[in-house]
Amino acid sequence: MNAPNDYRIDTDLAVIGGGTAGLNSAMAAAERGLKVLVVDKANINRSGAIAGGIDHFQTYLETGEAWDTRESWLKYAGRVARGATNLKIHEAVFCEERTAAIERVERIGIPLRNPSTGEFFRTQAMGQPGPYSINFNGKKLKLKMAREVRRLKCKVLNRVQVSNLFLHDGELAGFTGFDIRTGDFYQVRAKAIIISTGNTNRMFKSQTGNPFNLWYCPACTGDLHRQAFDAGVELANMEYIRMTIVPKGFSAPGFNAFFGMGSRLVNSLGEPFMERYHPMAEGAPRNIMVWSTIQELKEGRGPIYVDCRHLSQKDMEHLFATLGYDKDTLPDFFVKKGYNLGGTMIEMTVSEPMQARPGEQCGSGIKIDETCASNIPGIFAAGDSADQMGCLHMCVAGGYAAGKNAADYAAKVNALRPMDAGKMADEKARIFRPLEKKSGMPYWEFEDIVRYITTDHFGPVKTEKSLTTALTKLDRLDAAREDLKADNLHELMRVHEATNIQQVAKITATTALARKESRFPPYHYRADFPETDDANFCGLMVARKGTEGEVTTRFEPLSYED
Amino acid sequence: MPPVIDEDKCNACGICDQHCPLDVLYLVDGKVQVRYPYECWHCGACRQDCPTGAIEIEFLPIMLGV
Repeated sequence: MNAPNDYRIDTDLAVIGGGTAGLNSAMAAAERGLKVLVVDKANINRSGAIAGGIDHFQTYLETGEAWDTRESWLKYAGRVARGATNLKIHEAVFCEERTAAIERVERIGIPLRNPSTGEFFRTQAMGQPGPYSINFNGKKLKLKMAREVRRLKCKVLNRVQVSNLFLHDGELAGFTGFDIRTGDFYQVRAKAIIISTGNTNRMFKSQTGNPFNLWYCPACTGDLHRQAFDAGVELANMEYIRMTIVPKGFSAPGFNAFFGMGSRLVNSLGEPFMERYHPMAEGAPRNIMVWSTIQELKEGRGPIYVDCRHLSQKDMEHLFATLGYDKDTLPDFFVKKGYNLGGTMIEMTVSEPMQARPGEQCGSGIKIDETCASNIPGIFAAGDSADQMGCLHMCVAGGYAAGKNAADYAAKVNALRPMDAGKMADEKARIFRPLEKKSGMPYWEFEDIVRYITTDHFGPVKTEKSLTTALTKLDRLDAAREDLKADNLHELMRVHEATNIQQVAKITATTALARKESRFPPYHYRADFPETDDANFCGLMVARKGTEGEVTTRFEPLSYED
Repeated sequence: MPPVIDEDKCNACGICDQHCPLDVLYLVDGKVQVRYPYECWHCGACRQDCPTGAIEIEFLPIMLGV
């Protein structure tokens, strides 16, 4: 390996995190003539939540059906994400952008319509009043978006992990990072940045004990949540953890495919149990499906299964074909497990929790306004790392909105702001210090401790006592951060991820402590406040760094017409 | 271990190394090393993008056993 280099880059706009939202942001800004840089810890061809594929895009389509209008969609969003979604922002980042978003996905080469019929294949689940999910083959969507970003002449830094954000006079100046393959150190100045680094995974124990066997992308570790928080950016909806129902042994997506096609969830007595919990049964919002499954398992009626035996041959074939669109290797897993398309019941379980949005029509993370701007001038956010975005439809639509708005902002900034040389030297030393350690704690041991604390104290059930206990232990773990060692650059990346996960866990526990009610159980279930309290808590719990580095919270109410 | 490289089919193009979102695969001296098998997400990006069909995905024993 050659001696690592120092690089300085000046750009108009930098996108941190080249997943779905980030690439759509980059497209918008580049189309407006800005000099755009995209930085990703992996490679933008295959990075983020849909690296390996995706199978559905949720939207209304104005077909004339009563449920298929903007108004019905907003009612549905306000119902299933009440207290978490700001409908004004939702309209700006999704409704206003959705037609162009669909056209863009198809223009870059991924048909959302069945090529032979020209029709959308639409399914209904997750509390939707009608079939809002377009089922499609998105296995190559990420590759096509990356190709479009390169066609638009965006500069791309793959395998670069961003380490910290820097401000000048309260406004964004830029950020630092390092190449996880070469050790090169980067200082980037930008007029504006868009943070689009996904949610926070590897924060809770997984069903098999392997922290990389996860529903969502294990490379998304809250890196920019932590860095933005440290820079004074406000975060919201951070108290929520999110789970789904996954095959036993393999935490993979597939929920929407199974239940959208009409599969049933049955307990060990062979009883389809969802009716007992919700009138929409398997069409209920995801959190209710998870909650119900937890109750069945707790009461001794496990294992639970997904039952597809009543599906028609045609539907069954469609289901098993599209399962691979969302998770390429899931059909292989079923074959290896001995399940067959003819009618075996598939054993399911509740996935690991992750820190993420509590529903499909809201977000979790950097608090954005209708222009996708944070409270710090020059810092914007999009996708799963923004508090009002997430899921493919909002990442494609809202990512583009963030790119447009950040481009408008950057166009009005006259000059790049300076980054202090002393601070740069300190940051470089901080980044690489774990490589100098001959002995110390490896990243996985540190991360394991975080996962024990979170899983023991603030999983699907939490109380004031469990949360304060968790916070005491997470604070105590701060001392071990100085002891972390890395034997190579890959481990160095993991060391920084591990400490970011720990810091995000503290924000999650602190905001969960402040929300003295339950909402979207089990995504936020307080055994000491088991009811939803709309009078006092219908809105956002906003977190911000205090003067002593502590997590402070304030509450911002949200209102809905009905 | 996931993924498994068939060295007879592999043409050492390096696409799997470049595309793996978890930095699991390394092309070194014309051979692909599965350096961090326990950090595989099983997303299948490497297998999908391999031009010679040299990659198979296996599942950890615990995934199939529980």
